[in-house]
Amino acid sequence: MSGRRLGMAASCLASLALVLVAVHVAGAQEPAVAGPRAYGSFPWIGSRTAVWIAAEVHLMFAAFVLGVPMFAVVAEGIGIFGGDERYDRLSKEFTRLLLIAYSATAMWGAVLVFFLTTLYPRFWAHMTEIFEVSMWIYVGLFFIESFTLYLYYYGWDRWKKGRAKIGHWTLGILLNVWGTAVLFIADSWLTYMMSPPANVGPDTSPAMVQFWSAFANATWMPINIHRLIANVVFGGSVVAAYAGYRFLSARTDQERAHYDWMGYVGNFIAIGALIVLPFAGYYLGREIYEYNQQMGITMMGGFMSWLWIIQAFLIGVLFLAGNYYLWVGMGRIPGAERFLPYTKWMLLVLIIGVIVWSTPHTMIADRAELEAMGGSHHPFLGVLGVMSAKNTAVNLMILTTFLSFLLYRRANRRPVVSWARTGTILQAGLFVIAAVVVLFYGVYGYFVSAIVRIGFSVYQVLAVLATIVGVVALDVAMLRGSESRGEIRWGQMPPRSQYALFVLVVTFTWLMGLMGFARSGIRQHWHVWEVMRDTSEWAATPALGYAAQVISVCVIIFLGLIAFIFWLGGLVEKPQLVPERGEH
Amino acid sequence: MWGTNLRILGVVLGTVAVYTLLANAIPQVESEVPEELSFTGDVSPEQLIEAGEELFNGAGGCTACHGLGTRAPNLLTAQGSAGPIGARCAQRVEGEDCKTYLHRSLVEPGAYVVEGFQPIMPDASRTMSGAQIWSLVAFLESQGGEVTVTAADLQAADAGGEAGAAAGAAAGPSATTDPAELIRELQCVACHKLGAEGQEVGPPFDGIGSRLSAEEIRAAILDPAASIAPGYEQFAGVMPPNFGSRLTAAQLEAIVAFLAARK
Repeated sequence: MSGRRLGMAASCLASLALVLVAVHVAGAQEPAVAGPRAYGSFPWIGSRTAVWIAAEVHLMFAAFVLGVPMFAVVAEGIGIFGGDERYDRLSKEFTRLLLIAYSATAMWGAVLVFFLTTLYPRFWAHMTEIFEVSMWIYVGLFFIESFTLYLYYYGWDRWKKGRAKIGHWTLGILLNVWGTAVLFIADSWLTYMMSPPANVGPDTSPAMVQFWSAFANATWMPINIHRLIANVVFGGSVVAAYAGYRFLSARTDQERAHYDWMGYVGNFIAIGALIVLPFAGYYLGREIYEYNQQMGITMMGGFMSWLWIIQAFLIGVLFLAGNYYLWVGMGRIPGAERFLPYTKWMLLVLIIGVIVWSTPHTMIADRAELEAMGGSHHPFLGVLGVMSAKNTAVNLMILTTFLSFLLYRRANRRPVVSWARTGTILQAGLFVIAAVVVLFYGVYGYFVSAIVRIGFSVYQVLAVLATIVGVVALDVAMLRGSESRGEIRWGQMPPRSQYALFVLVVTFTWLMGLMGFARSGIRQHWHVWEVMRDTSEWAATPALGYAAQVISVCVIIFLGLIAFIFWLGGLVEKPQLVPERGEH
Repeated sequence: MWGTNLRILGVVLGTVAVYTLLANAIPQVESEVPEELSFTGDVSPEQLIEAGEELFNGAGGCTACHGLGTRAPNLLTAQGSAGPIGARCAQRVEGEDCKTYLHRSLVEPGAYVVEGFQPIMPDASRTMSGAQIWSLVAFLESQGGEVTVTAADLQAADAGGEAGAAAGAAAGPSATTDPAELIRELQCVACHKLGAEGQEVGPPFDGIGSRLSAEEIRAAILDPAASIAPGYEQFAGVMPPNFGSRLTAAQLEAIVAFLAARK
């Protein structure tokens, strides 16, 4: 049996498993299946951890298979409309990585559903009674999505010219439409658990819950948006790590050049989308507070308060590793040497930013700790760790990372437009204005009340976003028809740069696990917040140390499986390499 | 090649290890489940205070706001010129003693929002039992004041809780989803005639499937006051309204299907 058939067979088996699960789910409402038993038990690690691992690994695969098609279809579009065949081949290679990953996603989804039905039958019966129709639609969409993917990938070389190619590209767009719909449906289930409609209480029978109000609940859309962007970030980082591995194991210069370029594109996608992710996170956090202040406070200042210090550290690593990769990459770009002296200053801004962002402030403390601090806050860190300082730090880190991208992009270009000098001064002016606005509101925030201070973060974010949009618009216009200072020497990248890509993928994956714990953990001992209480022996939400161990296990399982899948994919088909060009 | 693979493996595992160690090095706080309290009639103030303190510092989640002085008033330490909460609670609302003020603040938090703070306090009765709430009141009274919570307060709270527990007990032991068995266990036939069995205080089960749809039967079980069958108006309010919480979804659906089939 060929590898391609093997992949198809695995996918069909996974789909079959999903159908069986769906039938089981539908049947779970019948008394004989669900029964009155509230909880099952799982040996050794317990029910909670078993479901946790299954859900998290499923989510990691799902994020990958939903994120990659988004930029695969964009890359194909660039190939079609820009006439650069490299992007078409790159897109195909992205898509090739998806094929077997789809099967793994379905398999872990089946594991998750089986665990839920056997370990949490009462809770699952509650969910199926409310969401049964959406579960059937979900299964249907999964089929359609899978077969669209098969058509998209296997039809690549058949439909590669003229209108057929546009038709093929449309398949890619459809693949994203189905994938997004699948994501939105699954999000409705988990967000219902966080934010059920206000009129649903412990005494409400699930049969009386209005479907649409449960589906489109308060945190549904913020999660949808946050996950859409996060999936792109995650997909980009996995692709970049794949390229990094292929770069390090390349046997020819052509192969090395191709994977160097692919790694750059993957990293660009990941870091580019990461820049806007905090804004989506801010929207989600705000909606959680709007829905239930107590839930928001539990998340930010309750037992989870230390979690955000770890998150700040991880995001600091992402910014540092992403920028490091870019700075090292500038060594292969003729003309980039004129920007290299600035990198040490950018590094300084990033390090200070990470230190400020990671400073503890409003931490949950017991009486002994309060006495030791001499008050509710640490005498020294209490001043430094406030949100004004943290918002300022993160906005300056975003600006600095954007500047790195800009310098990278400009490195080997020489603008020829008459207003090039004015344009560059304007760009610098925009950077300075944004930095001043961010710093001004950061300092001013110390002199106003908390409720006023919270509003300042909006001005800071808007200043940074406006600068990004304005500078990019100027840059695109300014570099039109620009001269080259020399071709980029793709492939001539020190191996150490590739290890940064591995740090990035591990950190993104770990961060995804951490945020999953935060989102799910804020429900505390409720299956459905203030509607269905978790009365099992596993009801207590564990501390961060235990959570970190589970997250690490999930990360290792995911990365181990994805490495195996990529290796398997490499056995089946070698990508066709297109001679590199010096543009980017 | 093996050297490269090992280096990659080292970077991956090393990064995971750093994050895991870091997360284990910080203070570990678990979100506990509030422990259900059961006191006897001779409960001492010390027992109440101890239980309340445990809730306040743990599963109650109170310290997320109270104690910081920014989100909510300090309760254990002085707030402004006043002393801790036990010393100042009796002066908060004219004509209301400390115990009443604190209890009401917990179950009707919107009633008294301290000036300068947002109304973010949740209703404690949504997540805590009466005994838990009273033990919290006792603990807060003890912070600079005298504990006046008594066993009588707890018994009054328990009366509500016990009623619920008794109602739960009727359905609780039932592990069955056999509708006929459930109808007997829930004593439905005490009011609804089924074949030769039962009284006719409410509409008979015989032929109910031809009078009502499955949706209407379900609604009548879950919210009996919403619609009273003609001719039975004088018995309105007799049917317990709590079957939604006493039955599992599967049990409810089994009864609905059983009744809907009786045409």
